[in-house]
Amino acid sequence: MPTPHSPKQNHLLAALPAAEFERLAPHLELVPMPLGEAIYESGERLQHVYFPTTSIVSLLYVMEDGASAEIAVVGNEGILGISLFMGGDTTPSRAVVQSAGYGYRLKAQLLKDEFNRAGPVLRLLLRYTQALITQMAQTAVCNRHHTLEQQLCRWLLLSLDRLESDELTMTQELIANMLGVRREGVTEAAGKLQRAGLIRYSRGHIQVTNRAGLERETCECYAVVKKEFDRLLSDIPLGDPFQALALASA
Amino acid sequence: MYVEAQTRLRCMWTIGAKMDTSLKKSAPHKAYVRVPDGDGLVAGSADHDIVCRALARAPAKRPVRSTTGAPVANLLLAALPSKDRQHLMASCEQVDLSFGEVLYEPAERVRQVYFPADGFISLLSPVNDHASLEVELVGNEGMVGVPIALGVDVSPLRAMVQGSGTALRIDAASFRRELDFSLALRHELNRYIYVLLAQLAQTAACIRFHVLDARLARWLLMTQDRAHSNEFHLTHEVLAQMLGVRRVGVTNAAGLLQKHKLIRYSRGNITVLDRAGLEAVSCGCYRAVKDTYERILG
Repeated sequence: MPTPHSPKQNHLLAALPAAEFERLAPHLELVPMPLGEAIYESGERLQHVYFPTTSIVSLLYVMEDGASAEIAVVGNEGILGISLFMGGDTTPSRAVVQSAGYGYRLKAQLLKDEFNRAGPVLRLLLRYTQALITQMAQTAVCNRHHTLEQQLCRWLLLSLDRLESDELTMTQELIANMLGVRREGVTEAAGKLQRAGLIRYSRGHIQVTNRAGLERETCECYAVVKKEFDRLLSDIPLGDPFQALALASA
Repeated sequence: MYVEAQTRLRCMWTIGAKMDTSLKKSAPHKAYVRVPDGDGLVAGSADHDIVCRALARAPAKRPVRSTTGAPVANLLLAALPSKDRQHLMASCEQVDLSFGEVLYEPAERVRQVYFPADGFISLLSPVNDHASLEVELVGNEGMVGVPIALGVDVSPLRAMVQGSGTALRIDAASFRRELDFSLALRHELNRYIYVLLAQLAQTAACIRFHVLDARLARWLLMTQDRAHSNEFHLTHEVLAQMLGVRRVGVTNAAGLLQKHKLIRYSRGNITVLDRAGLEAVSCGCYRAVKDTYERILG
């Protein structure tokens, strides 16, 4: 049974105080986000920001020769279009839907206005930015130090956390693009995980059959990123975090 | 003329001016410069004399000075309106940064924010307990303590001094007050964070796709920019840690750059001999990050 759509399926929107949420709600537009669709191309001018609800979007860095690698994933915990309120009108990365679903979009200017009120929206988005920075730094580390199999586990777990089911619709080609490797590499790594009984993989469907097993196989990067997201975004002191922080460090 | 040109250029985070003096000795006197020329940029590989002429033509930009009359070396601070800058600088103290000093550890509370003048700082992401990877290199173009600007008081990264020098330091609580006081500061930092995000993305991809020689060349160029000198100290061990590779890999890559006379490397002392050559060997990431900085903050 499909659940009815609600902006509050997105954790950032759900975390907003009532006044801010009410102000934004009339302008939130539900949009389908089909698999493989590019929400932004790198260098493109941002017209909207997106709050995914049931979809997952990969941020990819595209090299000059066209090769790309995922630098972060954004799902119902986040927002696409950070660069907009950071003062750049264009995005440095490409955003591609890696798991089909829905999201809400908001006109760029409206978010900018809200950001400039220097209230809870600003604080929330800044915290999210720090979480994103952590994820990107960890991705860099992971790219350097960990095996493809470990990276695939990390990637599956990060995706699972952003979905309501334990099944992903995904082609090997898309995974290869995300991880910046050749398809054969993905086939081999996925085959290993399947033989170990952690996932079932068939014709573009990945079902996770043993989540604990994936967590054992993966590198530390998954836990680092998850912990940071939980810490920064679960219990958000939106009242006045600057003051709260000042008190805490006094 | 050289000295004059250098002084003018230094405050604009341009490169090449200092390097030219060293190139006087080496044939064929090629240099890569990007210097402001009226409203545009002169960029490219050029003869020594042309470089001199270009530098001479560069409009004199008055260095931004603090109330005490000393030039403001940090570019983020220099870009602020003077009222906002003076307010901020009143709460800052000048500190010495010494090589190897750790400003904060991962998961530790960030107590201070630093605006480097001529020192520079590595931000390292730890892996397990022994290894790490450098994800940012911060000199006078940036600041250390970004989490504070984002309303967070703990960083996942280690901040370690890579080049001795000085910085302006402000404690976290005062810095938060400055953020409330100055909208210009908030906007400037947001733009800086945008550049940082772009650089992080680039670095993550660079690590995936680019060979070590190219990455090493990129880090040397970044270090040269922040050291404001074509000579600096970096041991193989530190380089290996920065680049997330084994020491022997760095030895080989550095050997290759030395063989092509791009650098001279002995006992941890690196001299950049041919900046243009180094840039040609480095991946496009060096230029891309620099261009982003100039576009957003320049």
